[in-house]
Amino acid sequence: MNETPRKTEKEAQASPLSDEQLMAAFVKGSHAAFGELFSRYKQPLFGFFRRRAADAAHAEELTQETFLAILRGASRYEACALFRTYLYAIGFKILRAHRRRAAFRLAFLGKVPDYREAAVQDAAEAGLLIRQAVAKLGAIDREVLLLREFEELSYAEIAVVLRLPLNTVRSRLFRARTALHDLLAAPAGKQPVAELTESEEHV
Amino acid sequence: MNTSAHPVAPEEVMAFLDGELSITEAEAISEHVKRCSECAGLAEQFHGTSASLSRWSVPIAPGIVEDAVEELTGKESSGEKIGKANIFIRASFWSWKQWTLWIGATTVGLAVLFAAAGSLDNRDAVHRDRLVRNVGRAGAPQSESDAYGTVGKLETGRNVISGQAGFNTSTEFAVGGTGPAPPVAGKVDSLVSVQAPMIARTVTLTAVTKDFAASRALLEAILARRHGYAAQMNVNTPENAPRSLQASLRIPTAELASAVGDLKALGRVENEAQSGEEVSQQHADLVARLKNSRETEQRLQAILTQRTGKMSDVLEVEQEIARVRGEIEGMEAEQKNLEHRVDFATVNLQLTEEYKAQLVAPTASVSTRMHNAIVAGLQNVSEMVLAIVLFFFEEGPTMLFLLAIFLPPLWIVWARYRRAMATV
Repeated sequence: MNETPRKTEKEAQASPLSDEQLMAAFVKGSHAAFGELFSRYKQPLFGFFRRRAADAAHAEELTQETFLAILRGASRYEACALFRTYLYAIGFKILRAHRRRAAFRLAFLGKVPDYREAAVQDAAEAGLLIRQAVAKLGAIDREVLLLREFEELSYAEIAVVLRLPLNTVRSRLFRARTALHDLLAAPAGKQPVAELTESEEHV
Repeated sequence: MNTSAHPVAPEEVMAFLDGELSITEAEAISEHVKRCSECAGLAEQFHGTSASLSRWSVPIAPGIVEDAVEELTGKESSGEKIGKANIFIRASFWSWKQWTLWIGATTVGLAVLFAAAGSLDNRDAVHRDRLVRNVGRAGAPQSESDAYGTVGKLETGRNVISGQAGFNTSTEFAVGGTGPAPPVAGKVDSLVSVQAPMIARTVTLTAVTKDFAASRALLEAILARRHGYAAQMNVNTPENAPRSLQASLRIPTAELASAVGDLKALGRVENEAQSGEEVSQQHADLVARLKNSRETEQRLQAILTQRTGKMSDVLEVEQEIARVRGEIEGMEAEQKNLEHRVDFATVNLQLTEEYKAQLVAPTASVSTRMHNAIVAGLQNVSEMVLAIVLFFFEEGPTMLFLLAIFLPPLWIVWARYRRAMATV
């Protein structure tokens, strides 16, 4: 009799639940399910913010805010999209709000963002070159590329997160990849694509 | 990259590498890439870019994130408030409670604002009432103008109560002085209580009658019996609608009460309003000014008859006399009008027929009405377009001017914000 529950526990561990199932469990009140989701997405979400925010402290803060938003908004969650899409969409909203606040402080209060670490914080110099090249891409192109390459979202998911048509996502991604290739091939040369897409800044 | 005359678009190669194509499409592209060196090169390029990007590594998320979220989870489940994070959540995800609170607070704020505005209005009204009462009161003279006011009331008395010769003399003496004359003022003061105030009365009557023609005849009879007259009368007799009559009647004040009683018999009274405007002060002021002007005229006449001088001086005096004469005549007319208003009360009568609708065949056919509607519609559109064009011509220059003033600073602020946005 005693062995039966242990078996089911083991089975549960062996066949992990999907993100959506965990979220559904969390909506019903299981805090353990939220803990599991957190441990799955802690690192990817931190990476998401670390690649986009000015410094690690901000990335930490934004990661916390995102999980907190998931926590508070659980009752409004509808299982119509993948949890991953939902998470990144919220993360993106939070990132945008953070950027707006930072831009406002910088523009009107003259507060320069507090960069606790220098830009050259990654050990690899190659990483720095890549970051510089990516920074030269247009805002939307950059986001599409990062979401595809690092968050590994599908085109459809990117379309949902960025609220863009699917075809736009595809053409932007192609443009971003080609431009990045050109930038990496000739780092000292001109950046025609970056100038081309500079006007799109709602992302 | 030259894509012309190439069966596979480069974007499709990319979608294939990303696993975004259906199986059949993927197979076709796969076959093509194997054969086409250009597409193979492209695929290689994409792989290279991805490989380069993979060198952008991110450190492990610090444990502090984990601790913080665990702490928040604990607080959330225990129902505790979460300090800083709340601010953010309020900004982005307002719950219905927050909306309700916000809307409620706004409504209360507006209500307070309106209430404050209302009380201000009331205060004004009270102030006005007090003023009117002060003006109406026939108290002891406190200043020069008050003395004139009191004297004016005595003049009124001459009009209303006839046969007080001695009293008239004293009044004239009082007015003749340039300033307030204390001994006479005292005499005047003792007489004030005897005088009745001058009141211009107005009555408004709205009535509905069953028999319009009979009511109209009765109205004429009432006017004749009460020695009144109709200052103005409009009679409307439209087709398929009740007939109506608007009249402004003048009835001697003494007979007003009985005349109104008679008029009420015209039909069912729907509305009756009576008001009286006290014009004693106005009248007194007028009389005093008239007196002064008359004296001025007399003095000028005396100058003209007694003194001799240059022709131009004589002409000047003549002109001055003509001007003063004009003033006197204007004031006399005004005085007469005022007295007439006091002697004859105004009755505004609105008489409407009790109308029974009758079945009438529609005057216009459906097609005519349709035609008229279309014409009216087109006319409305053209008028609206014209109104918009006119608005832009009228307000355009102002708007351009305001834009010229406000746009540059706004643009500078916006540009600054955008520059900041690009750096964060």
